[in-house]
Amino acid sequence: MLSRSARGLYWIGRYLERAQHSCRLLADQFGVLEDRPVEEIDRCWRRLYIGLVRTPAGGNLESNLGDEQFMLADAYTLAADLTFEPGNPDGIRNCLAAARENARQVRNVIGKDMWSCLNIAFLGLRDIEVDDIWRDRPEEFYLRTENAIRTFSGITDSTMYRDGGWHFMQLGRFVERAQLVAALVDAQLAVFPTSEYHIESVWRSLLQICDARVAYSRLHSLQFQPTAVVDLVVADPLLSRSIRYALARVWDALDAISSHQPLAVEAGRRAGRMAARIDYDWPNRDPEDDDATRATLMEIRDSCRKLHDDVEAAYFDYAIEDSPKP
Amino acid sequence: MGGGHLFDGYETDPAFYDEMFDDAGTPREHCRELWTALGGMTHVEVANMQERAERSFLQDGITFSVYDEKGAQERIIPIDVLPRLIDADDWNFIERGLRQRLEALNLFLADIYGPGRILEDGVIPVDLVRDCSQYRIDMRGIRVPHGTYVCVCGTDLVRTRDGFLVLEDNLRVPSGVSYMLANRRTVKTSLRNLFRRHRVRSIEHYGTLLRQTLAELAPNGISDPCIVLLTPGVHNSAFYEHMFLAREMGVELVEGRDLLVHNGFVYMRTTGGLRRVDVIYRRIDDDFLDPLAFRPDSQLGTSGLFYAYRLGNVAIANAPGTGVADDKSVYAYVPDMIRYFLNEEPLLANVETHLCRDPEQMEYTLDNLDQLVVKVVGGSGGHGMLVGPHATPAERAAYAEEIRKNPANFISQPTLDLSCAPCLTDDGTAPRHVDLRPFVLRGRETHLVPGAFCRVALTPGSLVVNSSQGGGGKDLWVLSA
Repeated sequence: MLSRSARGLYWIGRYLERAQHSCRLLADQFGVLEDRPVEEIDRCWRRLYIGLVRTPAGGNLESNLGDEQFMLADAYTLAADLTFEPGNPDGIRNCLAAARENARQVRNVIGKDMWSCLNIAFLGLRDIEVDDIWRDRPEEFYLRTENAIRTFSGITDSTMYRDGGWHFMQLGRFVERAQLVAALVDAQLAVFPTSEYHIESVWRSLLQICDARVAYSRLHSLQFQPTAVVDLVVADPLLSRSIRYALARVWDALDAISSHQPLAVEAGRRAGRMAARIDYDWPNRDPEDDDATRATLMEIRDSCRKLHDDVEAAYFDYAIEDSPKP
Repeated sequence: MGGGHLFDGYETDPAFYDEMFDDAGTPREHCRELWTALGGMTHVEVANMQERAERSFLQDGITFSVYDEKGAQERIIPIDVLPRLIDADDWNFIERGLRQRLEALNLFLADIYGPGRILEDGVIPVDLVRDCSQYRIDMRGIRVPHGTYVCVCGTDLVRTRDGFLVLEDNLRVPSGVSYMLANRRTVKTSLRNLFRRHRVRSIEHYGTLLRQTLAELAPNGISDPCIVLLTPGVHNSAFYEHMFLAREMGVELVEGRDLLVHNGFVYMRTTGGLRRVDVIYRRIDDDFLDPLAFRPDSQLGTSGLFYAYRLGNVAIANAPGTGVADDKSVYAYVPDMIRYFLNEEPLLANVETHLCRDPEQMEYTLDNLDQLVVKVVGGSGGHGMLVGPHATPAERAAYAEEIRKNPANFISQPTLDLSCAPCLTDDGTAPRHVDLRPFVLRGRETHLVPGAFCRVALTPGSLVVNSSQGGGGKDLWVLSA
């Protein structure tokens, strides 16, 4: 497959995953947490922003805890910032626009239905602003947008030829997912240390964002144990939004693409090492030691970034002499 | 509006040939069934059909880019759902005429980049060819496979009361074929039943035919060549078409930066390593193909491409340097080329053309500026031309000044009475001017699909059908005998 096309597909995977993640965060923020005390909602906004590695305009994530008016008064602004703000490259609209622009450039290698689905999703978002979603219930907008992305994934799953292009798209999707979930869990621990057992709703919200409520209730009944929640969304190999699951898909994709170029080999090893780390080191950690847990999550995020660079250099932008041999 | 016949109130203009109605206002024989069937639909039904078609264009992203002061905009080429019909006899004539013309044009190119007999024999002035900005001296002595310089040709034809005329031969990177196919796909779903009853000839196999034609150009008779389509990129106004054709053919869509030349061969960068490329269907102008051979500031091409081409290691379609044959001055000599190379009389006539490089013809042009269309020799897309009858005296005077300054840069032609076809309007149907652009393919042999991109001037009375200037498209049905 043409390197530029592979790169385009990889980025479609990444951008849509990013947009979907933000939709999930915001749907949770506006839906599930609606009836919670002001301070808690405020802390959840902080979690959300730390997890997305973004600072709200004029905001301060470190102080102001307890300043009840500060965040709440700005929920409207914050939603606009994460959804429509032209200057926010990770905003939902920008992510969809970027995914669609990448798709436009690789339309010859994706199906017509995939393209139309993404194009319609983008066109639906192109001309609206935060006012338009504020009039109804904003969470419905986020659910709708997420559903459009899910529809795209469904069409992709059921129609796309399973050649390199498919695997590059999967690779992008799951590298992004591993990074985002690692950042989210890290933010969760920063804002809600595991010692704070009493705020059950925020742990339930984390499960909700990671599509893990059903799984959790099967495994642990309905007792919310922060450390058990963290375990599930980090290390469970069967949960589709867990880091461990995402790493397995990353490894699968790299294995399917497989070239013997040294950096490509290195990328595969990185994914394997991270997975092994979770399989063999994670269970032995002190679950109460949030700092150690966060350090591990940081390593995973770093590894994902390096893996991205390896993939870039091995498949998309190599020098003639480093050309992978067929 | 109301429940009347769709064509109630349709008034043909006696000055123009009407594609659907004869002078008495009766539907032509081959259009009668369409007239009856469409007439049975209400205006609202047809308007809904029209709206659905436009929506599907937008959703499928069948767009082209227009650059204006506000930056780039994606627009759809407006489609008019009422098809234009061409009967079997007319098509047969067009087809023979186009084959003849393309044959002669290829022989002409082989000659001017080879022995130059036609120049030596004085049939065409030497300086007209050699001074043409599209003449590529580097092409001299290069042997192209099967003598095919022009592999894809999109000839603009118009119909007047005197019959079909060739308006121009587009021999460089003609576009529009994707709209021919997209219009068909859209109209086919809208008018399914009608479509079957009319025995419309299929054009679906264009992609297959193009791929086969390109494969025939592969160097050294490689049987399963690696073919790519080279696009300037997503910002090009015809990007949709490039993507569309790459998909139809199942070949990679590459940009200049995806290719590299190594040891005289062209490779593309794939995830599995460098892969050799045998045939390039390029949709980039000559100037930008290779910064080492042509414009050094080109960011779109690939360094060394022309070197690999000279070595015969890669085929480029259309060959560099074909633009000299569709130059607006050289155009005037195409009928002579046909006589010279083929010993035949041209089937399709040219539009009477006055070359201002000739002092007498320049005087004629200046004297009759209010009745003529004046075009810039190297121009395209309808830009820079003067439509005499529609221009103000001041505009004409300014233009005359330009002509005197550099006469060789201009040609003039009479204003053409382009034929009209019915188009849907807000309150019924009305005649609008149309032309057609069939696409002819030539590899080892010549092929064409029975169809064309039919362009229509949607502004009432306008003769400008260019997509960049408010033109739209129609599906064109070639009927079986």
